[in-house]
Amino acid sequence: MAIIEVRNLTKVYGRQVACRDICLFVEEGQIFGLLGPNGAGKSTLVKILVGLVYPTAGEAKVAGYAPQDLRGRRQVGFLPENFRFHSWLTGKELVAFHARLAGLDGKAAGQRAYEVLELVGLAGEGQKLVANYSKGMQQRLGLAAALVGDPRVVFLDEPTSALDPLGRRQVREVLLALKEAGKTIFLNSHLLSEVEQVCDRVAIINRGTVVADGRLDELQAGPATAAIRLDGLTGELAAKLRLRYPDLQLEGDRLTLTLNGREEIADFVARLVAGGCRIYEVTPGHNSLEDIFVHLVREGELVCG
Amino acid sequence: MWLMALFTFREAWRKKVVLVAGLLTLAFLALYGTGLHFVLDSDRANFADPALADFIALTETILIFSMGVYLSSFLVAGLAILSAVGSIAGEIENGTLYPLMVRPLSRRDLLLGKFFGLAAMLATYAALFFLALAGLIYWQTGLVIPGLAPALGLFVLKPMVLLSVTLLGTTRLTTLGNGVFAFGLYSLAVVGGKMEQIGVLLGSTATVYTGVVTSLILPADAAYRRLVATVVDRIATGNGQDLPFFNPQNILGPFGSQSTPSDWMLVYTLAYIVFMLAAAVSTFKRRDI
Repeated sequence: MAIIEVRNLTKVYGRQVACRDICLFVEEGQIFGLLGPNGAGKSTLVKILVGLVYPTAGEAKVAGYAPQDLRGRRQVGFLPENFRFHSWLTGKELVAFHARLAGLDGKAAGQRAYEVLELVGLAGEGQKLVANYSKGMQQRLGLAAALVGDPRVVFLDEPTSALDPLGRRQVREVLLALKEAGKTIFLNSHLLSEVEQVCDRVAIINRGTVVADGRLDELQAGPATAAIRLDGLTGELAAKLRLRYPDLQLEGDRLTLTLNGREEIADFVARLVAGGCRIYEVTPGHNSLEDIFVHLVREGELVCG
Repeated sequence: MWLMALFTFREAWRKKVVLVAGLLTLAFLALYGTGLHFVLDSDRANFADPALADFIALTETILIFSMGVYLSSFLVAGLAILSAVGSIAGEIENGTLYPLMVRPLSRRDLLLGKFFGLAAMLATYAALFFLALAGLIYWQTGLVIPGLAPALGLFVLKPMVLLSVTLLGTTRLTTLGNGVFAFGLYSLAVVGGKMEQIGVLLGSTATVYTGVVTSLILPADAAYRRLVATVVDRIATGNGQDLPFFNPQNILGPFGSQSTPSDWMLVYTLAYIVFMLAAAVSTFKRRDI
């Protein structure tokens, strides 16, 4: 069941189209990654989904409710990208205040604040004024505030941008623990490797339009490269192979080419062996998310159905 | 909404807004009290007739009190505008509003929570300031200011008017733009109020009407003038025989209340606050954050 539904969403600021006809569906319990270059419309889309911005056209629902509906907001947590907290509060006071806003009473709010501060590694820092927190600590505090209402859906806009590698790992562990607990996470991040490590599904948007949307393995499927170390390749066999694989190249004992998919590599190797070649090493190429991202952002647009 | 109001009140307290305003107010009161002591002390010796001396002292006391109220209302007005000028726009600019806006808290409740939190802070400050002025008068002269309770209410009303207008401005304008807007409007109201008083003194109907129009645009000065009338009109004017005949309002001139706002103007002022808040809520509900 889709817990986030976006249908033909468009947002126009004056003459500038921030989002155009976006369609997305995120299943409950998934970690969903939203990728795109700067200015692609990611933050606008997230702001529409959490009710900060009104769409010009189209419809969005989160947990079954329109983003401005307070019943839906009880089930949503949000860590914005460019946020700051009220510096005159201590960390614990701030998270407890957010817990009160989320509907908890005084004592329960204090208890819950302690729990989420512990979750993000700030349990010992709760009595400090927010003004004295480092940027990384503020980001963790933001994550704690986003989680304090025990939301079903958590929107995280660049949650690790100010964190060191250890902090990033800790946030990744928190995300995976949340997924384990059945929460849905909508992750907006520039860190492709991070998205690759935790996300079940990914959408890539460019110039306000979705250019790819699917499971990571689906996106990573398709043309695959391979490098093969061999000897015994005759000119005649190489010429025959080039007819089918035009980018085939042979440099010394190293042959590289692009195949239609990784599953075709075994057939190709069998053909080489049948042609009298001796194979020493086969290295399949990996379609990284970065490759896909760069390829799609440069290429075209996917029209939503 | 009340959680937000309490948060806003605590914010003003913890950010030392009240402390700074309080220290400045104490300095003002010390200066005012010193001036009050020496003015009253020197004048009393000039009259041989004790009844006349008492009458003159009473009139002077009320006039000095009115002047004190006039000057202190600027401090209260400044605090009202400065405390609210960036309530929404400033929090959007520095990013503190985003985490709050996605909570199960309607935009109406967030805005009204801010209004009530700031209003509680301003009402407390204004009331203490006013009572301190009245207390100084009592300490120096033994006089209880006539019409103290309604005058106190009117003194508190003025910052509420400014607060509501400034909150409307902050839902649409930048912090700087709203500051210019609110202070500009307040200056207009003060100048318009003066014009109205001068118009009455000079018998110029057109000038009076100009002042009335500015009072309708921002009825902050009208609250002050009704306050002055509430206090000054309760003291006896001279009878022209044993006591000289004069109206204390004439001595106050443009700082007094030659043209006293009616009860309907007070009703208008209260309706104005409600309307400004409704407009602020409506604007805030419709805008993108």
